[in-house]
Amino acid sequence: TLFRSDRLIQRAAGHSHPQFHTPHSAARTSGTSQDTMAAQYTITYFPVRGRTEYIRYLLADQGCEWKDDVMPIKEWYEGKVEQKKEAVFGQLPKFTDGDFVLFQSNAILRYLGRKHGLYGKNEKEAALIDMVNDGVEDLRLKYSRVFFYEWETSKDTYIEALPNHLRPFERLVSQNPSGFLMGSNVSFSDYNFLDLLQNHVVFAPDCLKDFPHLQAFKDKMESRPKLKAYLESEAHKNRPIHPTRKV
Amino acid sequence: MHSYIIVYFDVRGRCEATRLMLADLGQPWEEEVVSFPTWQQGDLKKECVFGQLPLLKDGDFKLNQSNAILRYVARNHGLHGKKPQEEAYIDMIVDGVEDMRIKYVKMIYQNYEEGKAPYIEALPNDLKHFESFLSKNNGGKGFIVGDQISLADYCLLDILLVHLVLAPDCLKNFPLLAAYVQRLSARPNVKTFLESDAHKNRPLNGNGKQ
Repeated sequence: TLFRSDRLIQRAAGHSHPQFHTPHSAARTSGTSQDTMAAQYTITYFPVRGRTEYIRYLLADQGCEWKDDVMPIKEWYEGKVEQKKEAVFGQLPKFTDGDFVLFQSNAILRYLGRKHGLYGKNEKEAALIDMVNDGVEDLRLKYSRVFFYEWETSKDTYIEALPNHLRPFERLVSQNPSGFLMGSNVSFSDYNFLDLLQNHVVFAPDCLKDFPHLQAFKDKMESRPKLKAYLESEAHKNRPIHPTRKV
Repeated sequence: MHSYIIVYFDVRGRCEATRLMLADLGQPWEEEVVSFPTWQQGDLKKECVFGQLPLLKDGDFKLNQSNAILRYVARNHGLHGKKPQEEAYIDMIVDGVEDMRIKYVKMIYQNYEEGKAPYIEALPNDLKHFESFLSKNNGGKGFIVGDQISLADYCLLDILLVHLVLAPDCLKNFPLLAAYVQRLSARPNVKTFLESDAHKNRPLNGNGKQ
């Protein structure tokens, strides 16, 4: 199984984070996609950051509300929950926008990217944002394999090789006057990349020392007011990177 | 107007889905085939944003990452869905195909001899998701998303075709997927492409395994 947790994590039915949505936000909208502030977003995921925290970064930064539907890890991997059978690929996260249900974390990012103007200003920029997000995803896969499955055996070689993986991103940011990964405005890939950088800094605090543009990127993103408020929230701070290990 | 050049090794690999799409569109493209010695020389690698192929050139525009290439070409030709929810489902399927491709590539390049049999045995666990999703769209008799062909179909067709080479029986318990492969392969331009020497002579993978 992907995660082993000896702690029984109680399923929190309809848990809402108080800072980011009111208890009355359960009211249905008419589903018009232009009405982003009244959109009914729900994220269903395990009680970890994993493949959802950067979705929350996007939503918080864009002033959106959402509901967190917490799925206990053990129940999911025992295969007993109906939602696992209904999930298109048998995986989480699951995302809903009113009646619309979506899976695959990068599809969710792209959907929200389109909806909130975070996908570049033309076709070529959109393609380049796709490209960099795919690069972030490639690094996230390498990181996840080591961090969740091979920590003891591979941590040191991973940290040693890390500069080679970060260098392309340093180059990208250094070439972009806006200071974002790609394009003149923030894109969905920036939230993805911020989360990945933060995760790395936790276990390799020096990893950005030779990458001043990445440090500047991280600082720039983290100082965006709404994102900063979310980063300082209990909801974010209490959501662990690893289900059991203190990193 | 687009003038596409696919820069890649002499393999189907991560470009055949793009080639299927371009062929079906009747959109011509060029191939710049990169030999391994050329690649190891290093200049081209430095040009690539993540040090990898494929690279797509469209005039002056250069793009890396195979799925970004697929999405760019699809959008240029109206094959990325007609409305936001369709676009999202297309992305979701493309990502699901990518997940399968990652596992396939790992087995092919890292563990073919011992990994092939267990991989084939586990295949239904992935294929069943596509069969199920397909069944919910027009009873599985059309395309994977929506009512016209999209980028997701070319990705799914490609991954199914490579798996049929690996395990010719793999769709025997998935009638909708089997019919889907037949149906899409019979599209005139797709059929011509699949029967072309260019496609047939192009190895699936770089190490001769398939």
